[in-house]
Amino acid sequence: MTSYSKEVLGDLAAGKLPWPQTRRIMSAYKDDDRFFKMVAVYQDRVAWKDPILLPVSDHLFICQSGDERITRCECGHSFGDYRKNWKLNAAIHVRNTEEALREIYPNSDLPDPQWMEIREFICPQCGTLHEVEAAAPGYPIVHDFEPDLEGFYREWLGRPLQGS
Amino acid sequence: MLDKPASALRLRERLLDSERLMEETGCYDGITELTLRNQDPLKFETLHTKLRAYCVSAREMARRISASPGVREVGEMVVAIYTPEGDAIALSNGIMVHVHTMSRFIKWMIKNGYEDNPRIREGDIFANNDAFIGTVQVPDVMDVVPIFHEGTLVGWAGAVCHELEAGGITPGGDVCLAQERFTEGLFVCAEKIGENDEIRRDYVIRCERNLRMPIYWVLDEKAKVASCIDMRESVKQLISEIGLDYWMKVSKEFIEEGRRAQLARTRQLTVPGIYRGHTFYGHVTAGKPGFQLLGDPDWLYNIPIEMEITTDGKITMDCEGTQPWGYHSMNCTPAGMDGGMFVTLTQHMNFEGLVNDGAWMATELKLPHGTWTNPDNEMVATATSWALLLPAYGVFQRLLSRSFVARGFVEEAFVGQVNSPMIEMGGESQYGTPFGMAHFECAAAGSGALAIKDGLDTAYVGWNPESDMGNIEVWEQSMPMVYIGRSIVPNSGGAGKYRGGCSFVSTWLINKTSHLRLHTSEHSSRVFDNGGMCGGYPAPTCQKHRAVRNSDIHELAAKGEPLAHAPGIDPHVSDYERNIGGDHVVIEGPYITSPHKSGDIFSHSYNGGGGYGDVLERDPIKTAWDVENGFLTRQAADQVFGIVLKDDEDGYPIADIDATVERRAAMRKERLVKAVPVADWIAKERGRVEKADFAPEVKKMYASAIKLSSRFTREFSEFWNVDARSIFTPGAKP
Ligand SMILES: [Zn+2]
Repeated sequence: MTSYSKEVLGDLAAGKLPWPQTRRIMSAYKDDDRFFKMVAVYQDRVAWKDPILLPVSDHLFICQSGDERITRCECGHSFGDYRKNWKLNAAIHVRNTEEALREIYPNSDLPDPQWMEIREFICPQCGTLHEVEAAAPGYPIVHDFEPDLEGFYREWLGRPLQGS
Repeated sequence: MLDKPASALRLRERLLDSERLMEETGCYDGITELTLRNQDPLKFETLHTKLRAYCVSAREMARRISASPGVREVGEMVVAIYTPEGDAIALSNGIMVHVHTMSRFIKWMIKNGYEDNPRIREGDIFANNDAFIGTVQVPDVMDVVPIFHEGTLVGWAGAVCHELEAGGITPGGDVCLAQERFTEGLFVCAEKIGENDEIRRDYVIRCERNLRMPIYWVLDEKAKVASCIDMRESVKQLISEIGLDYWMKVSKEFIEEGRRAQLARTRQLTVPGIYRGHTFYGHVTAGKPGFQLLGDPDWLYNIPIEMEITTDGKITMDCEGTQPWGYHSMNCTPAGMDGGMFVTLTQHMNFEGLVNDGAWMATELKLPHGTWTNPDNEMVATATSWALLLPAYGVFQRLLSRSFVARGFVEEAFVGQVNSPMIEMGGESQYGTPFGMAHFECAAAGSGALAIKDGLDTAYVGWNPESDMGNIEVWEQSMPMVYIGRSIVPNSGGAGKYRGGCSFVSTWLINKTSHLRLHTSEHSSRVFDNGGMCGGYPAPTCQKHRAVRNSDIHELAAKGEPLAHAPGIDPHVSDYERNIGGDHVVIEGPYITSPHKSGDIFSHSYNGGGGYGDVLERDPIKTAWDVENGFLTRQAADQVFGIVLKDDEDGYPIADIDATVERRAAMRKERLVKAVPVADWIAKERGRVEKADFAPEVKKMYASAIKLSSRFTREFSEFWNVDARSIFTPGAKP
């Protein structure tokens, strides 16, 4: 049975593992104990104590906060109930002019801002850029991920969540 | 009629029976237990490895027969072995997207009475390139031969090559000007093209008289038939060793095992739930010569993808809400969409165990009728279906990757394949002969970033995991152009903690021809095709085409003056304009214009992949290396990544870590100053939505999506708290 130490997985997640070792992990049979070990790695990384239930992006986690399950930034900022789209509680910066697009694409041809804008979803507390949407003007904000959290814990992990 | 059917049933009944058994038991062909695998797992695995070896070696042998640099150099070929009903048991490497499209082709023949007429007999050769029967686009020509054992049909061997010339309205294979099926080129519709292991002379004559470069197609046919016969003989030999009964059982157990493995892999690597994403595609033809005015010339495509993973491990991909088919060549058939799913799964989930059609059976595709994914008109053109298929599966890869990140398998997360334009040509060759060719160096774009490292530079495309741009010298033998540059495009990967893989740009001098038609596939520069993930930015849009007609390059070269070998990094003035005299043109794709001649210069850029993670977390030391090696510009390092570079004593860039930390802290603050709460933005933007204050193509996109999808209409209306129908389709019936 393949298994890796928390230290190795921590380095893997941080992009610090030497490539030959990363390559071996990619080629080997997957480690069945990965999920909870990775959650432990993230739990050490975040600045708060609420137990992490699921990572959903590079710095966003669903966690158990008292009776609630919320999406939380690594810095601690809460984006609210995990079933709701966290983006609705973020700060947004929209690039829909040539000048604003040029800041990110200084040396390339640009799309037509009438057809396409860039939306940056930012943590209002720490300023981390959590997600970028490239969308036509007027396109509804996407709800990226609605995990079946309870089904996942109950049926795939065999550890039903409390209260479910 | 079959001389001796494999079972008491005829093939058609056998196929329907197999589908019924799958329906009733949920298992392939009703195989609820893997009896042979349980009896002797080692024998089971060894046999599958043998079959795979037959496929790999047959493909390698056949590539040496081909004359096409697409097949020889770049490997645009795949072969596979099928059950009598047409389900893939084992396959080679190569353009794996076609393993499942060939399966559709075989099933189509069986369901359409081919047993009676034209009959399926030992030594027969069948070919197809009709996407509504089972392929992706007209240049993907497939050949299959039945495998008989002592008079019984026991399977099929099949091979596909991507042809570099298909004889359509524009030269090449991805016939960009085709607006209906009738201009796409030479169609072979599930046709018997040979008997007794020999390709019919009249079929070859038809190819020779209807293609600009028949040597590619005809020799590829021979290569494919040779590989099929090679696989067939290997399978027959194997059956004589293991017995017919064992073969008939084990070949099906392989597929059921593949299906189960896919479900298990989903449960192991992902998290159940609903995942959503989208991408866009801009099609711009207004004023371009050659396009018939059959529909609106300019069209913005939205491609929303919803992926559901259920707790039983099934993955469903749903394309509802996307745009209708159109009078252009980018429509796709369900066969093409199936193929995209198959090649994605084989690369991203089935990297161990038995890879075959079983994986595809554990998934479901929802392709709304009437959209470009499933046209309700079989006259539509599909010659460049990759233009929409690739970005759609790029989104799907990002959705899958989100599930890998959630499950902790960060090393498998991948921002996705890229949509990248290609170039095709025809006219008079450097030898003074007529010619036509697709330039397949496009098979080496940049990949999306990974969640733990940068994307691959000039080394990945979705349709063929063994990506290769081919050697310059080989391409130069096949076209009247010589390379004066092939280089990395700086900043072509999307910015992020890990950047997308960079692409390359080629610059050619047109040489020894008075008539060279150059065309590029349908990509415009209007949108971002290749999105980022988890805070990473999209890769830049398609770069415009830059050409110089009547250049003075020969005079410059004679005087030893500096030339230009790439467009450079100033988007307003290219290095060609700075260094080379002549008539300069900058044209947004697709490039369709009058023929070129010797002395002209043409350049073409491919696309890079999207970035991953927050750009302000990128490693400064890696960035200095990127700047030194031309993957990033100094300007981007500074203004996009917030990395302060200084020079070492030899003039090489090194990162100033302290200054970088300070600069990035300021940039984070600056972000929050510029940003507004999403709720405020929605409240303001809602006014614009209510007035439909958008470009005509944007409004048309919404109107079309609303007409085709009640779900899109509902979600749009709910999000903005408006009545989408009354805004975008006033007067239409509900
Ligand atoms: Zn934060």
